[in-house]
Amino acid sequence: MRRDGRAVSSDVKRLVLVVDDEPVNRELLGFILQDDYEVIYAEDGVEALEKIKANERLSLILLDLLMPRMNGFELLKIIEDDDELKRIPVIVLTSEKKAEVETLNMGASDFITKPYELPEVILARIRRIIELNEDTYIIKNTEHDKLTNLFNREFFINYVGQMDVYHSDQEMDALVCNINNFHLVNEIYGREFGDNLLKRLAELLQEWAIKNDGIVGRAESDTFFIYNRHCDNYDDLQKYVSQNIAKTYASNINVRFGVYQNVDRTIEIEQRFDKAKSVASALRNNFTKFIDYYSEPLHEKELLEQRLISDVNVALEEKQFIVYYQPKYNIKGDEPKLCSAEALIRWKHPELGMISPGVFIPLFEENGLIQKLDRYVWREVAEQIRRWRDEFGIVIPVSVNVSRVDMYDPELVSRFVNLMKDNDLSPHDYILEVTESAYTEDSKQIIGIVENLRKLGFRIEMDDFGSGYSSLNMLSELPIDALKLDMAFVRNLVGHDKKIHLLELIMGIASFLSVPVVAEGVESIDQVDILKDVGCDIIQGYYFSRPVSPEDFAKFIRSEEN
Amino acid sequence: MLTIETLQNFGANTQEGLGRCMNNQNFYFRLVKMAAGDKGFARLSNALNNRDWNDAFEAAHGLKGILSNLALTPLVEPVSQLTELLRDKKEITFSDLLQQIEEKHKQLLELCG
Repeated sequence: MRRDGRAVSSDVKRLVLVVDDEPVNRELLGFILQDDYEVIYAEDGVEALEKIKANERLSLILLDLLMPRMNGFELLKIIEDDDELKRIPVIVLTSEKKAEVETLNMGASDFITKPYELPEVILARIRRIIELNEDTYIIKNTEHDKLTNLFNREFFINYVGQMDVYHSDQEMDALVCNINNFHLVNEIYGREFGDNLLKRLAELLQEWAIKNDGIVGRAESDTFFIYNRHCDNYDDLQKYVSQNIAKTYASNINVRFGVYQNVDRTIEIEQRFDKAKSVASALRNNFTKFIDYYSEPLHEKELLEQRLISDVNVALEEKQFIVYYQPKYNIKGDEPKLCSAEALIRWKHPELGMISPGVFIPLFEENGLIQKLDRYVWREVAEQIRRWRDEFGIVIPVSVNVSRVDMYDPELVSRFVNLMKDNDLSPHDYILEVTESAYTEDSKQIIGIVENLRKLGFRIEMDDFGSGYSSLNMLSELPIDALKLDMAFVRNLVGHDKKIHLLELIMGIASFLSVPVVAEGVESIDQVDILKDVGCDIIQGYYFSRPVSPEDFAKFIRSEEN
Repeated sequence: MLTIETLQNFGANTQEGLGRCMNNQNFYFRLVKMAAGDKGFARLSNALNNRDWNDAFEAAHGLKGILSNLALTPLVEPVSQLTELLRDKKEITFSDLLQQIEEKHKQLLELCG
């Protein structure tokens, strides 16, 4: 075993230092050891210290106590006070009973009495001490995380088990701590910075845990576990850590905590931390809240989300996602006229039943799965437009959602072009809905892509208009073909003059931009009348129809024909 | 002439001493010769005569370790007694013990030739 803890293969002779001022004793021990060990000698403490420092792979020191210059007690103290040196076990050579206890208390591993016992006994003692020491190092190395020196996950969990045994009456809390967007921290500031940050965070957590009779472990990457006696709240911990991190590092680095209090000891230790972890994960994208406490409903939501994420690929393969179509009517003329439809997705889960898009869309937007889902819908819709055209001889343009993340797909334009080609459709038959807030986020990038799509003939509808922060100045530059009002404008419209007034202003903007306005979420004839009065062009909502299956939608097409 | 027999006649527990030397006679004899020539004997006499009890204790203690390892019993006994007397570092009467040690030491030197 090297001093740094790396194991030496068992066929290598371990190096032993014999320190004794009496040549007879040195020779005698050397003679006993020479077949099994490589032996070096020192006459006193001073020479011994030089040899200890010069021989990194020293496995054991056999140390006499009474020696000139520096005696055994003095040398033992130096060794024990030195973090590096104290890893080397020391066996004291003594004839003094009193000294045995004293040296053991000072850190000696064992003693050999004078006169010496039989060589076999000495060899056995030496072998045992070296093995024990090496094993301890192997354990220490495997139980500690190298970077932070905290327990690693496996040993942390073991220690939690031990704490439970020894403090079975104490109420305990399980905490999980993460750094927000740690992968980005590494990417932006570099790996070394990230490592330093982890080390600092580990120190802060450790300091806090020691005061609270707790233990800390590093489970993985930026995930730390803490287990300690119950506290009513951990706001102080969160503040303490955040302030210290902000002081040392950039203030935009945030640390979040998930806390599971009064753990249920009948459940597995890993599961207790899963609960705390689910809370910490839910805070991932929260920029105002950095600590939260576990509660059953939150956990159930988390479980459902996990389930949906893991089921999504099979669902796409098995076409569990069903595209519904909600008709849009042009109300410019005397009679409302079916002009297009919006594609809306439903998930018919084989076990969970019909799942609302309100549940899975925000979830998939968060983790990027929305891209897969969008592509699925785009294809389904293109095929449906073609089927209706084949069946009825007319084209019903359908609008589809283009999520923010899709805008960063370098293949986006070619995807749509291919889709049109595959289904023998014109881009004019296909409407792309882009949410207003996407434009404000990275307007140059998005405007560029939208312009390309428009040049190819696709029509662009700005979705949720009025919910974002478009400046009027920016609006004039946006390449759009229609404004789709945010539902909030349509809701509570009746009897609210201010809202109607606001609507009129928006109509003015639309007319300035020479684009039609689409209102969705329209449910009553009163709303229709108001919208018609202010000059709204197209209406979508329960007033005409809820979203329906392609088969049911066919009825609307037929009635138009008639 | 140093042999097992002469050492036994001297009073050494050769079985024990040899045992510590893995029953290697030559090695045992070499160590016995080293012990006989050890500077500790002279140091002990000088220290006692100079009434330097500290130094005398260290010398006696050292000798005790060597001699007991080699099981040179006739020397181990007086050296051990002297060590214990010197441990308290009080004024002691040492002449009898010292004489005994010097006598046995002389015998041992003669055996070693």
